[in-house]
Amino acid sequence: MAGSSVAAVQHNFKHYPSLSLLPSSHSTFCGTKFITSIQYKRKVCQPKGALNVMASSSKKILVMGGTRFIGIFLSRLLVEEGHQVTLFTRGKAPVTQPLPGEADDAYNAFKSKILHLKGDRKDYDFVRTSLAAEGFDVVYDINGREAEEVEPILDALPNLEQYIYCSSAGVYLKSDLLPHREVDAVDPKSRHKGKLETEALLESKGVNYTSIRPVYIYGPLNYNPVEEWFFHRLKAGRPIPIPNSGLQVTQLGHVKDLATAFIKVLGNAKASKQVYNISGDRYVTFDGLARACAKAGGFPEPELIHYNPKEFDFGKKKAFPFRDQHFFASVEKAKEELGIVPEYGLVEGLTDSYNLDFGRGTFRKAADFSTDDIILGKSLVLS
Amino acid sequence: MATLLSSSPSSLLFTTLSPPSLPSLSLSSLSLSSTSSISSSASSISLSHRSLSFSSKRPSYSAFAVKASAAEKKKVLIVNTNSGGHAVIGFYFAKELLASGHDVTVLTVGDEASDKMKKPPFTRFSEIVEGGGKTVWGNVDAIGTVLEGLTFDVVLDNNGKDLDAVKPVADWAKSSGAGQFLFISSAGMYKATEEPPHVEGDTVKADAGHAGVEKYISESFGNWASFRPQYMIGSGNNKDCEEWFFDRIVRGRPVPIPGSGMQLTNISHVRDLSSMLTKAVENPSAASGNVFNCVSDRAVTLDGMAKLCAKAAGLPVEIVHYDPKSIGSDAKKAFPFRNMHFYAEPRAAKDVLGWKSSTNLPEDLKERYEEYVKIGRDKKTMKFDIDDKILESLKAPVAA
Repeated sequence: MAGSSVAAVQHNFKHYPSLSLLPSSHSTFCGTKFITSIQYKRKVCQPKGALNVMASSSKKILVMGGTRFIGIFLSRLLVEEGHQVTLFTRGKAPVTQPLPGEADDAYNAFKSKILHLKGDRKDYDFVRTSLAAEGFDVVYDINGREAEEVEPILDALPNLEQYIYCSSAGVYLKSDLLPHREVDAVDPKSRHKGKLETEALLESKGVNYTSIRPVYIYGPLNYNPVEEWFFHRLKAGRPIPIPNSGLQVTQLGHVKDLATAFIKVLGNAKASKQVYNISGDRYVTFDGLARACAKAGGFPEPELIHYNPKEFDFGKKKAFPFRDQHFFASVEKAKEELGIVPEYGLVEGLTDSYNLDFGRGTFRKAADFSTDDIILGKSLVLS
Repeated sequence: MATLLSSSPSSLLFTTLSPPSLPSLSLSSLSLSSTSSISSSASSISLSHRSLSFSSKRPSYSAFAVKASAAEKKKVLIVNTNSGGHAVIGFYFAKELLASGHDVTVLTVGDEASDKMKKPPFTRFSEIVEGGGKTVWGNVDAIGTVLEGLTFDVVLDNNGKDLDAVKPVADWAKSSGAGQFLFISSAGMYKATEEPPHVEGDTVKADAGHAGVEKYISESFGNWASFRPQYMIGSGNNKDCEEWFFDRIVRGRPVPIPGSGMQLTNISHVRDLSSMLTKAVENPSAASGNVFNCVSDRAVTLDGMAKLCAKAAGLPVEIVHYDPKSIGSDAKKAFPFRNMHFYAEPRAAKDVLGWKSSTNLPEDLKERYEEYVKIGRDKKTMKFDIDDKILESLKAPVAA
């Protein structure tokens, strides 16, 4: 039964890639089944090997963040599952916004149910008092960066059932042996050491935590110019400058698959005090990614220009949105232990992103080809 | 007590031993019946006997977790190539099967007196015999004659690269009633991709000889499986792998690597291939109808391999990159690995057989280096003509 429902989900997805994101009639998250029978059918959507989700009862859930990217998709899933969801944000971004292609009634239903706790998570006193006053069963920490941000949350919620943390595969120590696995050495000096320190703190506090380490996340509403960077150049008909060989292997994970993974660890005893890499189940070369973006947007095959970054001075600007190295992680542990399998293939997922975002004329960062022009020799100095 | 799980990298697997009476403790005397309970107790009898006699000579045994296999004892035929990178697979597989209590015959293609038999692993085939196995020689076209009167439960073809070479074996196996046919294929048959890794089910090169074989055996046998390896390290290897790097590192020579050195590859310890094959023999219904990437579960870059070899040797390494086009036709001989991403993952084996990889390159290479020095290869006089050509073309100085 579980197997066939997963198959059904995939079937629906593949035939309706650009329809509503939301699980209305065409479910990308087994949404329909949840809406009609939350109490009994939750297990149906667990693929083989996943532990049945413990409770089908509604939980009081706090999402730190939730209004920018991952949290937007995650919070919708949580609301759909019948949980009471509060988003803790400063309110800089709108608390809710309709997803591209989302039906009005679906959006309104979501909007009417979502709660907002306005505040600055770095105001630790406020965090303590407001969270203690509310009490929450589960915390999804989507935007935490430093360990000290977590302490007040844990202090305020002594009966917390689960702390689910969005960490990063950036914590892994660079290695000649890849993919990165959850057991591998981490880099205490990395840019993401705050994430590592947070994981260590969660472990030391004995709280029931689950830490998710995504690689590069992509999908509609991405504020990190991952696919957007390629789409800008493809749209402008410009060559795509790629550092060094273009053989560097990276990995992208669709935001919806990430949101699904976050749901799957909720209330899952197997996920207690565990760390999971979550991303797509294939890797991709830089060159391959450029071509995949072209396919996704229906662009002709792009011209790729390879350059030696050491020969240029880009000032403070980034000439390419990815780390110039191999960077990919095995997602086997989540698959084997929790039955978490990404739905989106790369071109499929990039097509979803293009159709729902860039292809509609929306993007987060305006095109900036100044570093490209330096590389292409069109200008000698970054103005 | 059957399966060898090599999580311990400490000692060389399958060091030569001199068991006085092992042949007389022939497994045939224990093959009272085919029920699993008897065979597992038979295995435990035979192994405990062996461990009594030989534990001091084979410390590595006690370091391995040896699992009782619920599988019955099988009669396995390994048709083994007489040369090349895959030769060592049959050697390890034979020994693992024997240690697990199975009956093994190795048919090496060609002539026992051939010069090819003067290289490993053939020089160590006595270990197969000492383990209770049989070793015979012959040509696959005459397989019926060579193995006249013999029947097997399982036949592994670790020889042919195309249907011409495998068909006689497959047809004979079928006609003589073998229940399970296994084939050592190649991950080289995958079409190049920009989205690694190669996963079972991915598009293969239609004209690949191995593809033709896989198709034929899938049509001929009710129970078949195909195994696609990449590169291997391990004692008894017939073809150089890590040695190529050691040769240069130990002589203080630069290591010339084509392209960027970022190319991913998969270099497995051959014990991983052997354990995967053994799992298939012991879980035939699970294995049936599957293609398995017969590799470890980590990629290493070409540069990374050079660095790991140097680390294993405790020596520095100078890596030099070159454009293979600059040396023309020598490019193929210049470097033992494909100049492209060539990385398959063993997903089917993990999903279907519950197999786990044990390759640990940093540790395994230390062991390989120890043997490299032990056999005196570090002192051997060698010429590096193509390397010199490459370095000349780069105008890089050669260390004395």
